[in-house]
Amino acid sequence: MRALLALTVFGGGVAHATLAPALGIRGVTPDLPLIVVALLALRQGPEFGCVAGFAAGLLQDATGGGLIGVQALTKAVIGFAMGAAGSRLSVTQPLVQVPGLVLLTVAEGLVRFALLKVFHFPATFGDMILYVILPQALYNGFLGAALVVALTCFESLRARAS
Amino acid sequence: MKIRKFALLASVLAVCLLLLTLQTRGYGATARDLLALVTTPVQAGVSRAHRAAFGVWDTYRDWKNVRAENYRLRDENQQLRVEALRVGETEDENRRLRHLLALQQRLPLTTLSGEIIARDWGGWIRALTVNRGRGDHVPRLTAVISPDGLIGRIVDVRPGASIIQVLTDPASTVGAHVVRTRTPGIVEGDARGTLRFKYMARDGAGIQVGDVLVTSGQGGLFPRGIPIGRVRAVDDRGPALFYYAALEPAVDFARVDEVLLVTGDTRHDLAAHFPTGG
Repeated sequence: MRALLALTVFGGGVAHATLAPALGIRGVTPDLPLIVVALLALRQGPEFGCVAGFAAGLLQDATGGGLIGVQALTKAVIGFAMGAAGSRLSVTQPLVQVPGLVLLTVAEGLVRFALLKVFHFPATFGDMILYVILPQALYNGFLGAALVVALTCFESLRARAS
Repeated sequence: MKIRKFALLASVLAVCLLLLTLQTRGYGATARDLLALVTTPVQAGVSRAHRAAFGVWDTYRDWKNVRAENYRLRDENQQLRVEALRVGETEDENRRLRHLLALQQRLPLTTLSGEIIARDWGGWIRALTVNRGRGDHVPRLTAVISPDGLIGRIVDVRPGASIIQVLTDPASTVGAHVVRTRTPGIVEGDARGTLRFKYMARDGAGIQVGDVLVTSGQGGLFPRGIPIGRVRAVDDRGPALFYYAALEPAVDFARVDEVLLVTGDTRHDLAAHFPTGG
């Protein structure tokens, strides 16, 4: 559990720091820690999701230079929610994965925006939703679905080998 | 169990809110410092991994670019080499044609220029094919020359082409004399592809290596004074009636590309028109 948590935080951070700029399309980068937290929370449950989301968000806050605690809070909530909903969702279907991750990213973006507004965040809601939250949500949706497919293939290959 | 889960969530949220509150109340630096104690080592690791990953990626991209550039430069180099060869070849041909034209203009003969289109270089026959034939009214036994000297004679005239029997052909014989001593004799080809000068021993006592031989003009086939070759070695046979001298041909038959066919009157002495050095 602890090892997985450390791997989630560190792996997500490394992947975000290394892959996200390379994966950027016209300035839109995926939120890799969010995808990793959501996928692991679905399998590991709400407690794991909450702690992993908090740690990953905190790392992003610290490395991003913004207010520390904003992404830690939003990702902890997302991790908890995904962990709690894991047993009720059929996440192996791409038709669920893509819209699911899109909605999740939008929800995280909205919560983050609302939280930042409390601290007098200057950007307008329209600009943020149009140019930041929605493009990233779409990107996260497709990338997350691809990751789920890759993980499923890997696991089935491993099961066949054993 | 459920309470524990929500208690964890509440704790996490409380920590986050505490962090945010601390930052807005001016304790941001302390909170950041505290967090930095935990995150800095992780950040350093992330940064190192980032640099390593991108370093590998950049190296790979550079390598790919260098490889692509290498291929492009190799192609360009190949093209430039071919171009240089073509230019060199053209310059060479230009120079040869200028020499041939100059010879054609200074000779007091009627000549027809031709291009060598084939070579038969076997031991049995040594012949060149020139692109002048029956259509150009080339008579059989026409003398063929180049700016360097005598090449041979036309032995077969065909439509559009003629066959030149080269001096080194085993069946070729040409009347010649040594320029310095005026020693007469016959230049023969042999099966080894070399030339030899056959002369009477009593006439050729003074022949030396390096002496130049030219056509004698006897028989009316070849004009007098066309260089044939230079004495390479003298075969002194003691009491024999005939001696032989091995010759170095004046013309490199394997490399000759343009020739002149002497189609008109051949009763001229051309010694003054060729650089014999003798």
